[in-house]
Amino acid sequence: MRCGVFLCECGGNISGVLDLDSLADSARTHDGVVSISRNQFMCGTEGRRMIEQAVEERGLDRIVIGACSRRFQGPTFERIARELRLGENAVAFGNLREGCSFIHRDEPAKAQLKAEKIVSAAVARARFQSDLPRGRTFLHRSALVVGGGIAGITAAEELSGAGIDVHLVEREQSLGGYMARLSKTFPTEDCAMCSLAPQLTGAALDPRIHIRTLTDVTEISGPPGEFRVKLRQRPRFVSEACVGCDDCTAACPVSVSSEFELGVTKRKAISRPFANAVPSLYAIDKRGPAPCKSACPAGTSAQGYVALVAEGRFDEAYRVASGPNPFPSVCGRICTHPCERACARGEVDEPVAIAALKRFVADHVGPETVIEKVPVIHSEKVAIIGAGPAGLTCARDLAKLGYRTTVFEALPVAGGMLKTGIPDYRLPKDVLEREIDQITALGVELKLGQRAGKDFTVDGLLENGYGAAFLAVGLQKSSEVEITGAELEGTERAVEFLRRLNLGKSVSVGDRVVVIGGGDVALDAARSAIRLQQTSGREPNVTLVYRRTRAEMPALGEEDEQAIEEGLKVEFLVAPLEIVGKKGRVSALKLQRCKLGEPDSSGRRRPVPIEGDVTEIEADTVVLAIGQDIVCDFLEGCEDVSVEKGQIRIDRDTLMTGKSGVFAGGDAAATGGWTAIEAIAAGTRAAHSIHNYLRGEKLFEVWPAKAAEARPSAEELARREVGQRIPAVLLDRSDRCASWAEVVGGYSEEEAIAEASRCLACAVCSECEACVRACPAGAIELDQQEETEELAVGAIIVATGHKEFDARRKIPLGFGRFSNVVTQSQLARLLAPSGPTAGELERPSDGAVPKKIFMLQCVGSRDCTSSGNEHCSAICCLFATLHASLIKQHYPDVDITIGYTDLRAPGKSHEEYYRLVQERGVRYVRGRVGEVMEEADKSLRVRFEDTVTKRKNEELFDLVVLSAGLEASAGTTEIAHVAGLQQGSAGFIKEYHPKLKPVDTQRAGIFVAGTAQGPKNIPDTIAQAKAAAARVVSMLSAGFVLTPAQVASSNLEQCIGCGICESVCPQGAVKLSGGDNPHSVVDANSCRGCGICAAECPSGAMTLGGYSDEEILAEVMV
Amino acid sequence: MTSTAAENTRAPETEDGAERKIVAFFCRECAYAAADATGNARVSLPTTIRSVLVPCTGRVSPLHLLKALADGADGVYVAGCLEGQCHYREGNLHALDRIEFSRALLESVGVEPERVQMFTMSAADSPKFVAAARKMHETISALPPLKRK
Repeated sequence: MRCGVFLCECGGNISGVLDLDSLADSARTHDGVVSISRNQFMCGTEGRRMIEQAVEERGLDRIVIGACSRRFQGPTFERIARELRLGENAVAFGNLREGCSFIHRDEPAKAQLKAEKIVSAAVARARFQSDLPRGRTFLHRSALVVGGGIAGITAAEELSGAGIDVHLVEREQSLGGYMARLSKTFPTEDCAMCSLAPQLTGAALDPRIHIRTLTDVTEISGPPGEFRVKLRQRPRFVSEACVGCDDCTAACPVSVSSEFELGVTKRKAISRPFANAVPSLYAIDKRGPAPCKSACPAGTSAQGYVALVAEGRFDEAYRVASGPNPFPSVCGRICTHPCERACARGEVDEPVAIAALKRFVADHVGPETVIEKVPVIHSEKVAIIGAGPAGLTCARDLAKLGYRTTVFEALPVAGGMLKTGIPDYRLPKDVLEREIDQITALGVELKLGQRAGKDFTVDGLLENGYGAAFLAVGLQKSSEVEITGAELEGTERAVEFLRRLNLGKSVSVGDRVVVIGGGDVALDAARSAIRLQQTSGREPNVTLVYRRTRAEMPALGEEDEQAIEEGLKVEFLVAPLEIVGKKGRVSALKLQRCKLGEPDSSGRRRPVPIEGDVTEIEADTVVLAIGQDIVCDFLEGCEDVSVEKGQIRIDRDTLMTGKSGVFAGGDAAATGGWTAIEAIAAGTRAAHSIHNYLRGEKLFEVWPAKAAEARPSAEELARREVGQRIPAVLLDRSDRCASWAEVVGGYSEEEAIAEASRCLACAVCSECEACVRACPAGAIELDQQEETEELAVGAIIVATGHKEFDARRKIPLGFGRFSNVVTQSQLARLLAPSGPTAGELERPSDGAVPKKIFMLQCVGSRDCTSSGNEHCSAICCLFATLHASLIKQHYPDVDITIGYTDLRAPGKSHEEYYRLVQERGVRYVRGRVGEVMEEADKSLRVRFEDTVTKRKNEELFDLVVLSAGLEASAGTTEIAHVAGLQQGSAGFIKEYHPKLKPVDTQRAGIFVAGTAQGPKNIPDTIAQAKAAAARVVSMLSAGFVLTPAQVASSNLEQCIGCGICESVCPQGAVKLSGGDNPHSVVDANSCRGCGICAAECPSGAMTLGGYSDEEILAEVMV
Repeated sequence: MTSTAAENTRAPETEDGAERKIVAFFCRECAYAAADATGNARVSLPTTIRSVLVPCTGRVSPLHLLKALADGADGVYVAGCLEGQCHYREGNLHALDRIEFSRALLESVGVEPERVQMFTMSAADSPKFVAAARKMHETISALPPLKRK
């Protein structure tokens, strides 16, 4: 080492206390010191010349500066060393001023000794200092601006002006941010939109500004200068073709609280927040399938038709309800309605009566709907075996796709189980017939009395001109039950019993009927038996016996209630042992009593016999209703199709059987439950598969993956008012049992609209497609998908803004509970000419102009309780003053009181404005509010203390306005996580240095502007945005950046790959390499040189440039 | 600050009359800045304290603390940012962990744990910086010189 020591007198600051000659003598004794110099001001030009000269003449490779604190002149000397090609780490510092002469002026002898040690330590340290390598990062001349409020727009505009490409990313559907919501701005009282709109238009037209709305930043990686940014763009569902005509919002039946209007009014599911929005396109708020749609096997947009019913648009509702389902009138009556079990309203009170609404709309519109024949456009014919719900749905869907379809039905009637299984009192025959007629009207051919395997064969059809076949043969017989006495006269099997009945054949039952089973078929048989007894003038005597309890019964809950009303007796927890006979006729049923045991595979608790507990019921008719089975006639002449465990074997995705071109579905090949709606869904799927098969398309791409359903949060549900569903009218008990008339009545129009209005619009967009039909530009694209994108940018500006403090957290103030308590931002909307009241001040409860208004300051600000924030939100005093002034000018008689903690009006013209508004007659009272209470007429009683007069007040007001403070927005918190930025109190992004680097963040190359950094008004926001843009310009104008010298580095040979460094690095700059022998790798561009990793490293592999253990210890040990 | 200079109380001398040596690691972001502010205000401080600049107290490892004691210091302290104010998120908390660890280690070999301490302060808080320096000086001066074998 050839070290020069340079001692600074600092104009006497140092030399006045220390004897520098003596210090020089002591320094001369250290090994490696070859030169000593002193100067009055070593940091001046003379000092610099001395250093240059010594380096040149004495061949120095190390420089020790004995002067002031390194924090002051360190960069000066480092720069000299760099320019002399020694590298900045060739300089070591001894702090002789702040560290010695300044603080030990009264102990010069001790100070002298300490100074010798300080110089000695610096020399010792210098020996271990080595040159630090620095790389170059070339810069992308582009920037990402996150947040499209006034800060983001301003920054983007500045950057574009400097020739930098800007990607302006906004999570909402339009640029504009908070400023777009304001009515006017203080202190000039000029219209916010008038200043903002030209900025918005400017950004939209600027070719260097690339705007992406509905977009989130999901990842930021790479070094400053060449950040890699991942973006996720949510679908807008509206294309660029949108002309902004607004026809769609009139068509949309779904209204939800408007975020842009801060809940002051509602918006539609398709909307544009304000007229000057950029981009000007509308967007659909579609959050996924609603729970009801998700639960429906056929995927019916239940929320869609419910929303349309609520608006009285029955024709359109019918179109939605009948879209995927040719049997809406039928399903409105007999569907097991899984949609209602999923309905979120059920968590508030009762599910929306979705099925009853479907029935209403189908009965209301269906009969008048004229069906026209669909032209046949494909040459292939399709055969459908079985005219039940699966077969007929498949036929309809294929006919609509342009195929000639023929449905072969073994029975003389169509409808399958809907016809032969369900009695008239549940499903009147004319309802079913109407819907079947609508299917045949499309051109579907129906061949009745044609039994597959007997009258024709499937293979035969395929050989004779049919391109494909769909087997929808159902389960046409009762399951065989092994029970003694099953052969006795008086024993009936439910499926056959109901079929005979429903085909109008003569059926009779005895005086004492017992039905075994707990499903829908058992109930249908039992209730039919009651009617048979009553229509023949007998008293009803029917008992249902079931092995488990009512809770496990598969039949619909409401239906067994009706049956019991009709006189049905039910015995639970009994299993049939034997049908007892006398002279070949049934005389009784012997039953084993059971109790509930462990749950079985279906989740229901299994019945366990109670040993020795046997009972008997007298009976002359026993109906066995325990399951259905397939009838395999159709297999004759149908090769390669097989039946296993009572079901046709199919591929569950394509519904294709073992034979190419032959498909199967419905009860005979169920993919879900054995219900009508599952059969309908299977029919639709089969039609798609057959179409794909015949058109030679891939079979397996038929079913899109089910998207996650949209459901309101528990918090939103809890806020809903509890009500109840509108009950359906039932036929009187006495009227119904002696006839086959329909038991359950339908809704009236008024009832249907009221019931439909209970819908919570879970998914917001109900997928009713009313907008698709209304849009003249064809701009609606409901199948748009989320897109991801990756960008490379040189620098990033975070301008993600703030949100208003949630005033509900201040419970005594009544916000969210009392309609006439609003926030200052909501008042901005009520005063805005473009707002919901067109600028007329109307109080929310009754629309009247309030005569007396109380504005309360510091709601959630300057508040040390756990529900508030400590900081002052900076803008609220003038925000309230502005609104008070606007109201006073429009309604001079309104009495306004502003309750403040301290009135703060710093800044240009603000104090003057406050005085002016005071003169306009606004009353300012210093004091905080204890409580706001609502009176019967919705006016508000406010208790507050005047802290000047120390008097407690209680007054009535028509409107209370809360000046809720500012907090970091959700977007700010999100970007802080993604970018690894620090957040301070209330979530605002921490700047690198509160004074000197107010727009830099902890991460190099990422800057912050506007209210994301802290509460501030619009001029300050704009100034900061321009400052951030200037920082980006200065950074990117350099062309490249040097990686910092003081960064961590890892010695590969010593690294043991433990990964501790990765886990402690606050910048995410250290990562473990992959492979068998992982080792730590430092990204020098991201490292900010804190050295935490070096201190934590257990193997000593990690070190920090300029602060190695040797360098630190050399200083310590002197 | 000038008033502090005026009321400067002379550091208590040790019983044996010999001056102690205290090594102080100062974080660049806070304590070192507070030290500079203190110096500029000409506040008198005990000459026992020898400062070492570190970028973050998170850089200070037990090795540095213990080696300082092993090599002649009678006390060591670390002065960093206030909790939650670390410029590198949790560097000061890492430092605190290592100080606790070092204190436990010292105690197990019969060395007074108060020879190693941690203080936190903001860059603006010169009085707190002075108080920390004086407290450390008093603590170490009240203890005998550290015996090494």
